Amino acid sequence: MASFMLKRIASMALILLVLAGVVFTLQHLTPTDPVHAMLGANASKSAIAAKSHELGYDKPVLSQYFHYVGGLLHGDLQMSLRTRRPVTTDLRAYFPATLELALYAMFLAAVLGAVLGLATAVRARGSGVFRTVMLAGASAPPFLLALLGILLFYRRLGWLPATGRSSIHTAPTGPTGLLTVDSLLHGRFDAFSDALQHLILPAFCVAIGPAVSIGRVLRSSLVQSLRTDYVRTARSKGLREFMVLYRHAVRNSIGPALSMGGLQVGLMFAGVVVIEQVFAWPGIGLYISQSIPRTDFPAIAGVTVVLGAAYVVVNTLVDISQVVADPRIALA
Amino acid sequence: MAIAEPFVRVPATRTRAQRGRRSNAFSRLRFGDKCAVGMLGVITVLALITPWIVPHSATTPASDPFQAPFHGFLFGTDEVGRDVLSRVLFGLRASWLSSLAVIASGVIVGGLIGLVAGATGGWVDSVLMRITDVFLALPGPILAIAVVAALGPSLQHTLFAVMIVWWPFYARIVRGEVKALAARPHVEAARLAGTGRTRLALRHLLPGAYGATLVAASLDVGNLVLTLAGLSFLGLGAPEPSPELGAMAARGLPYLLEQWWVPVIPGLAVLFLALVANFAGDGLRNMLGA
Repeated sequence: MASFMLKRIASMALILLVLAGVVFTLQHLTPTDPVHAMLGANASKSAIAAKSHELGYDKPVLSQYFHYVGGLLHGDLQMSLRTRRPVTTDLRAYFPATLELALYAMFLAAVLGAVLGLATAVRARGSGVFRTVMLAGASAPPFLLALLGILLFYRRLGWLPATGRSSIHTAPTGPTGLLTVDSLLHGRFDAFSDALQHLILPAFCVAIGPAVSIGRVLRSSLVQSLRTDYVRTARSKGLREFMVLYRHAVRNSIGPALSMGGLQVGLMFAGVVVIEQVFAWPGIGLYISQSIPRTDFPAIAGVTVVLGAAYVVVNTLVDISQVVADPRIALA
Repeated sequence: MAIAEPFVRVPATRTRAQRGRRSNAFSRLRFGDKCAVGMLGVITVLALITPWIVPHSATTPASDPFQAPFHGFLFGTDEVGRDVLSRVLFGLRASWLSSLAVIASGVIVGGLIGLVAGATGGWVDSVLMRITDVFLALPGPILAIAVVAALGPSLQHTLFAVMIVWWPFYARIVRGEVKALAARPHVEAARLAGTGRTRLALRHLLPGAYGATLVAASLDVGNLVLTLAGLSFLGLGAPEPSPELGAMAARGLPYLLEQWWVPVIPGLAVLFLALVANFAGDGLRNMLGA
């Protein structure tokens, strides 16, 4: 198992290097020259040459790449052309909001996916209706769910707020940046419930697509497990159906659902970026959508590197956790 | 020679049976699947003839702004008085045709790489598949955002970006099918008969991968429609005033609470297209896979 983990971690490092390479290449393809953009249109030739030299743009491409990767390892994501601040500083301000939304969405996706998968697998006879519901859920663009959610729960019913993270101005800030955690740490339960109310709609809109994918995979692997001999044995020795499911079937079919969950994280990031725009959520999505019209590529590159790396790391962890749960996988 | 006879006959009867099955396949579909496949055909035809059937121009105002739906305009008018129905029809056309283009390119590029890898084997296979794995391990939608942002927002760049991240899935599928097929006797026989490499790959290996690839592609189209709509929503598609469903929803966002139809109807159009594509994909899988 140790050798599997080492191999998996080595391949993760390689993939991260490729990710950095792709972003680096894209940076060279952008029509906007970062030095020109930084110094403005009226900069003299010598000033541009000096700045290029300072930033290392006059060196060979390969050494620039290593310089770039070295910078990444030290948390240097270059300067934003729009805000004129280091991208790392900007992201530190925007990231906690996105992280909080993504965490709640992941949790919701896992719970909803498990419920959906279990319910459809056990009641396999009425699966026609469920198939319809699942396909409909998987076919709705997240932004449409958000729009309809705001119209129903904010405008019509008035149950949930429509935009932002919090409506309490004195809500605690720090130490984690996650509003729900911070308010609990400060004992501010009013701020906690307010933050939670703001989270429900966006998290649900992001979660529903991944939940459907997870549910579908869980369902098909559960249906297979339920046909196996050991499940028949468990049933015939008189175990209650719940125990058959919980002890025997679910344990053996959770693997594919786990790896599907890992793959869905990428989709979830994309969903978060879109959803944040609808809810005016002050996170990375808002940052990137402000950067796109201004062709602020260092900012977009920074977001790509951070989200891409998070995705790769999460999937590596999922793979390793699968082997821990079922050591046979490492041998295959 | 008693053994030789059935050997000759078995493939013949099998092909006849297969032909019979194929001609019956559509009629054996469930009613819902049939509707979905038929609807997809209708959408394709509508997409091709959109410019001749829209009631109003998609880019110039047809009336006063913010006319509610059903009052002269089926889907109302938007913030500058353009007919939402016409814009949605053009948006559906753009969405559907671009999805088809991206899927086709994914299948061709991925299929070619998978075919070369599977048919050649050895180090070529290893190198091509490692590259594919690396691409599969990166988050496609996020990379697509970066590619479009680097090249500058436009429909061509968006399509190009999504094409770049969409092929590895098909490379894996085709390579798997080809690899499994390469060990089969008919391929061995063809090789012994002196068939060249290219002909072997194209005539004896590739056709075996058609079914699996088609099923995968038909199930994939719905995801692609949603991905493209999401990118367009972020402002990574054609610039204003081109009618694109995602961008229409994003630009209509400020009017959500008072004039809901401006952002919601384009979103519903995306849902409709993705839903039909997903149902048709499921139907095709039942038809080909069963």
